[in-house]
Amino acid sequence: MALPGPSIMFLLLPFDSLIVNLLGISLTVLFTLLLVFIIVPAIFGVSFGIRKLYMKTLLKIFAWATLRMERGAKEKNHQLYKPYTNGIIAKDPTSLEEEIKEIRRSGSSKALDNTPEFELSDIFYFCRKGMETIMDDEVTKRFSAEELESWNLLSRTNYNFQYISLRLTILWGLGVLIRYCFLLPLRIALAFTGISLLVVGTTVVGYLPNGRFKEFLSKHVHLMCYRICVRALTAIITYHDRKNRPRNGGICVANHTSPIDVIILASDGYYAMVGQVHGGLMGVIQRAMVKACPHVWFERSEVKDRHLVAKRLTEHVQDKSKLPILIFPEGTCINNTSVMMFKKGSFEIGATVYPVAIKYDPQFGDAFWNSSKYGMVTYLLRMMTSWAIVCSVWYLPPMTRETDEDAVQFANRVKSAIARQGGLVDLLWDGGLKREKVKDAFKEEQQKLYSKMIVGNHEDRSRS
Amino acid sequence: MGAAQSTSEEVRELVGKTGFSSDQIEQLHRRFKQLSGDQPTIRKEHFNNVPDLELNPIRSKIVRAFFDNRNLRKGPSGLADEINFEDFLTIMAYFQPIDVTMDEEQVQLCRKEKLRFLFHMYDSDSDGRITLEEYRNVVEELLSGNPHIEKESARSIADGAMMEAASVCVGQMEPDQVYEGITFDDFLKIWQGIDIETKMHIRFLNMETMALCH
Repeated sequence: MALPGPSIMFLLLPFDSLIVNLLGISLTVLFTLLLVFIIVPAIFGVSFGIRKLYMKTLLKIFAWATLRMERGAKEKNHQLYKPYTNGIIAKDPTSLEEEIKEIRRSGSSKALDNTPEFELSDIFYFCRKGMETIMDDEVTKRFSAEELESWNLLSRTNYNFQYISLRLTILWGLGVLIRYCFLLPLRIALAFTGISLLVVGTTVVGYLPNGRFKEFLSKHVHLMCYRICVRALTAIITYHDRKNRPRNGGICVANHTSPIDVIILASDGYYAMVGQVHGGLMGVIQRAMVKACPHVWFERSEVKDRHLVAKRLTEHVQDKSKLPILIFPEGTCINNTSVMMFKKGSFEIGATVYPVAIKYDPQFGDAFWNSSKYGMVTYLLRMMTSWAIVCSVWYLPPMTRETDEDAVQFANRVKSAIARQGGLVDLLWDGGLKREKVKDAFKEEQQKLYSKMIVGNHEDRSRS
Repeated sequence: MGAAQSTSEEVRELVGKTGFSSDQIEQLHRRFKQLSGDQPTIRKEHFNNVPDLELNPIRSKIVRAFFDNRNLRKGPSGLADEINFEDFLTIMAYFQPIDVTMDEEQVQLCRKEKLRFLFHMYDSDSDGRITLEEYRNVVEELLSGNPHIEKESARSIADGAMMEAASVCVGQMEPDQVYEGITFDDFLKIWQGIDIETKMHIRFLNMETMALCH
């Protein structure tokens, strides 16, 4: 009997090289597909419609999954959807004055005494109001991610997930496999390609002499790389009213939900970015970009100086050959159900403002960046392991500041237009409340009103 | 997956102790977690995260009421450093509406509890009396937002109101008699026969699940 060892090895050898060959071929095929279906269309700005098809398929699967969950829940008599609440308490809409008068009327036995003075019962109103706000307040609600009413096979959006059926769990498991093992590496590869092309491309273009050719190339390098990044996130974007796109010498203003907003807008238009100089990878990208065309980057120390910022922006805007500036005036990421107060800085410059409304569809992946909860890298990973990012972008007609309105009123006007178009709630509160406390000016209002009531009348009384 | 859910055993216990329904308890638990930042207890600093509360002139008194041992039924005086969810519910329970199905005795008890909560808000040194100083303190706080009001006006308002309260409680006073302060019984006497407690409640919404419709 011959030794089985070596003969087995001889038998396996062709399989070995077969496997290597297969691997090589499949990788080549994969890369060619990648190139043909993703990168080349990105360069030319065309789309094969693959992502839309993907979206339709996903929707069908979600509908099926939700149906199964409902059926399962009915069988087990579980409560499936979270109770629909707009708040847990019914707040009284009466004003401060009415309520205090009412309290006093019911409390005071001295009906003859018409002039209200301070009474023990006045504290009731403020006490109750205080308790109400502790239980439920408008502003904090805006900052937690929107809650879904149907399940999109991402466990992170479902708080009531219970084991419903084997089929559903298998589907979910398959989803995890696809997302983490297939989509994620693909997306990371694309992102890597996009960013390196951006850095290399803009640096190369930077060496060219200034002129129309340089501008042309720069525009296309930027657009191409942003488009690749869009595909890296599998973002399915619908643009509306593209005729209103921002032009040179204008300021483009949009509501802010996540850092991805930049990529979404910049893949459809050529903008000058505004921002703080960062270190690390972002810094490399920023330095490369500015070689190809003038973006406005501020040092950390300059950011605090509002006049300097305003001056540089004004200079940029007045030069008609320079690109429209892209600014997010809310100052922080909001959870895409409402639009918060716009900071007035960008509205003081006096250029034409092109408002843009961005609304994400949370069904495929929640794009909101809760910066106090997740860091940037965690956030990007979450984005890349979602199914897709679906959003709509509306370009609104340009607005300019009227002669009789000041920067704040103009900012509010733009904000309302954006909120209306995107179907978002228009809130007066300052987005900065997420981190800072209420400015003292607002605090004074309630107290002033109450004290006016008491002291004003007290003075009347002492005079009479 | 999802947030940790308190066991139904604990919820039932809380329902019995505090009188909230299990849905309301679940909602309040979420609110508690939001305020505490997912920690098991709340401290005074956590109330800084409620922006609307900043507008309230007696903000510090309200926050203090949450940690007051008398309200938490943990002692005759002093402040707790932190409160857990059960304590949170205990304080919230002071603001439950009075059940119309309760009998007269229970109604009186509820009313007394609510008024006692308010009394504690005034009586900051826990000595059982609202002295002139404490009264002045409350008036000043309520009027503190307005920079145009001098301390003197606030004081005179407080003094005037205190005098009236004294006349209700003690009747005619001798010229050199010092009124020591409003005791809780006097406090109750002021509000006797007057339906104040309906102003001291917050209307909790009934949670109803959405109909499953296709």
